[in-house]
Amino acid sequence: MKPTENVLEIRNLVKDFPGVRAVDDVSFDIKRNTVHCLVGENGAGKSTLIKILTGVYERTSGQILLNGEEHDPQNPRDAKQKGISTLFQELNVVDQLTVEENLSLGVEETTFGFLRRTDKTNQMVSVMNSIEPSIKPGQLVSTLSVAKKQIVEIARAVAAESNIIIMDEPTAAISESEIARLFTIIRSLRENNVTVIYISHRLDEIFEIGDNVTVMRDGGHIATKPVAEIEDRSELIRMMIGKTVFEHYMPRDDISPDLILQVKNLSNHRLNDISFDVKAGEVVGFYGLVGAGKTELARAIFGADHCDGEILFKGEKLRANPEKSIAAGIALVPEERRTQGLFTILTIRGNVPVMNMSKISRSGFINAAKERTVAQEYVEKLNIATNSIEKEAAKLSGGNQQKVVLSKCLFADADLLMLDEPTRGIDVGAKSEIYSLIRQLSNEGKTIIIFSSELPEIMNICDSIHLLYDGSLKSTLRNGLDVDSEYILHVVTGGD
Amino acid sequence: MATNQMQKPAAGVRLSDESFITVFMVGILVLVFALASLFVPNFSTAKNIFNLVTNNWFVIVLGVGVTLVLITGNFDMSVGGNIALTGVLSVYFVQGVNVSQNTLANGLGLPYVVAIGLALLCAVGVGAINAFFIAKLKVPSIIVTLGTMMLARGAAKVITQGAQRNTSLPDIFGWLGSLSIPGTSIRLPVLVMISLIILAYIFEKKTVFARRIYLIGANPEAARLSGINVAKYLTALYLVSGLLAGITGILLASEYKAGVSSRAMGYEFDALVIALLGGVSINGGFGSVLGMFVGAIILSVVTSAATGLLLSPDWQFTLKAIVTFIAILSQRYALDRRKA
Repeated sequence: MKPTENVLEIRNLVKDFPGVRAVDDVSFDIKRNTVHCLVGENGAGKSTLIKILTGVYERTSGQILLNGEEHDPQNPRDAKQKGISTLFQELNVVDQLTVEENLSLGVEETTFGFLRRTDKTNQMVSVMNSIEPSIKPGQLVSTLSVAKKQIVEIARAVAAESNIIIMDEPTAAISESEIARLFTIIRSLRENNVTVIYISHRLDEIFEIGDNVTVMRDGGHIATKPVAEIEDRSELIRMMIGKTVFEHYMPRDDISPDLILQVKNLSNHRLNDISFDVKAGEVVGFYGLVGAGKTELARAIFGADHCDGEILFKGEKLRANPEKSIAAGIALVPEERRTQGLFTILTIRGNVPVMNMSKISRSGFINAAKERTVAQEYVEKLNIATNSIEKEAAKLSGGNQQKVVLSKCLFADADLLMLDEPTRGIDVGAKSEIYSLIRQLSNEGKTIIIFSSELPEIMNICDSIHLLYDGSLKSTLRNGLDVDSEYILHVVTGGD
Repeated sequence: MATNQMQKPAAGVRLSDESFITVFMVGILVLVFALASLFVPNFSTAKNIFNLVTNNWFVIVLGVGVTLVLITGNFDMSVGGNIALTGVLSVYFVQGVNVSQNTLANGLGLPYVVAIGLALLCAVGVGAINAFFIAKLKVPSIIVTLGTMMLARGAAKVITQGAQRNTSLPDIFGWLGSLSIPGTSIRLPVLVMISLIILAYIFEKKTVFARRIYLIGANPEAARLSGINVAKYLTALYLVSGLLAGITGILLASEYKAGVSSRAMGYEFDALVIALLGGVSINGGFGSVLGMFVGAIILSVVTSAATGLLLSPDWQFTLKAIVTFIAILSQRYALDRRKA
């Protein structure tokens, strides 16, 4: 079989989720034995595309040609057999096993139920050796650094004779020197008949390692070009954010100068000396890419995680635990609504009042009628789509679940509401409802902090914008017509 | 309000899932009871029914604590050992000082009330050890309570030299165990059981405290982020569970006028089984004390019917196992059907 020039050809690919088109008529080619970078903001459709390629999702329509043949993997294992391996951010190695055992995981051969060392294993070990001799086959994987675990995964992919290896943010958690080492490995993979699809938010890396780059935005394909033809980061950034005119929110000019929150020198394992003030009634946005420390900052302020430094709320020092924070008047809508925000096995009625039980009870006894009224009130107020307040929260759609979590926090009567990724994974309709709710709350005098990795969201609703990169507060600006989204992307991707 | 009710009749009328399971298990109980009455002579007499409900009072009393702990998603396996320890201690504390050559007849000679108070304190102390490791140090509860189960049993063995203490006891020692409502055969332990069931029922349906227990079981992380002090609630429940085991231990010791170190072997499992039979979820967040009570009666009917059918006692465990499996499977099935 004569190898085609393009290892992958994607034609008119579409993927619909309920209420949202995640991949919208995308077509591009990936040339054989190149490093092909995939860039785009969060929500641009990169991960969905990758998940279709690797058999996690089924496409809605369109065509994918792998080596000139139709590629329709039924599951990740199937994709792997067809030669596509993936290195996810969450590494897929078993810490308690040795390197060798990890390499042969899933392809073990046995005699009478006992593991047998086979040629295959030997071959894998020798591949491993040629990539990184310092990793010993008998070593426990738990003793390896993240970078070396990645190398074990790469070796497994190479030994499986993958001709495409997808790397999703491989440098997010490794050091500078390890990145250099990884790049050397990527280059040698390219020379050995492997095509690497490289996803990263760190734009400088694209210029260093990439041969071609595909830019995606809002599910659509913007451009695919050789990296050499791209002038600089800002050209890439322009393509990522496009000419989209953000519906600019005019910051309020009637915000009182009173400070409701003062954060001084906040540090922990993910945060680096963060200080800022929030005025009463302000809507403040924290923007940064995945891993920039947004969630960590929200949790640290709320008292859910340990941190050093000082937090003053209404002039008084906050006691670092959620119970005290809520009592003081702070509520948090956490990042992961299903695991951190919602009691999925309980009903809507059971969820809504939990942060402020004293309002529906008297001397420790719940007033059931009041509880129902409150739940009904929030179902109507936030337009939660359900036929009954007795519906189990697990059965609601993402947007409605988020509204239940919001109800919970609103019922807490907080003066400061912190929202971590308030619209992640919910449909457009619910999104805009949540935006108008935030504005309404702001008009009612509440102070709101939004942590988001979606720039339009931040620019739509915030009075001031803080930019985070790698756990540090890099820049603070006031929202308005003159806000330069290119500058923002420049800062949050690590530019000076 | 009235129009609201008319528009959405389902909302007000629909049983909660907990109540549904309890009703469902009552159905199973009726079925099992009807079958037993058909085959076992004199099974449905008032006296027998009374016995069925009251004979296992001790497991039910334990079950109250175990169920509440289970609703938070945790276990308390220390209750059986705790009964033995408390019973033995209550005896040891009142036994006379240096009254005999036999060391097992010598105790501390404390007044009865003081002895009971101290023994209960020790029982709660076992709960406090559980709470410290589970709530404070976040060690999995199954590990901690299996540890304290052996710790308590071990202490009881040491104090009784592996046997029991039953001599040189003042007459008053047997008083609590033999106390009954005048003119009836309802004894104090049964009264304790009934009042606990009623109290627990009101507690879990009506109070904020209980609601938070369910929230913790349903999602401990969300509970914490919703401002619930999870450690405080777990601590309170383990102390209560310890106290209930202590009360049971004292009542049993008083009834038999002996502190036996091997008392209540395996009761922790019985308490767990009746809770599961009653529909309490082993993952937490779901279940009720009333359900546990129904579960206990089902088990009691089955065991008693087996005896009535002259089934060899050797078969009783197997029979219990079969009933438990069938009941829990049918319960899962019913709940899934209802939710679908």
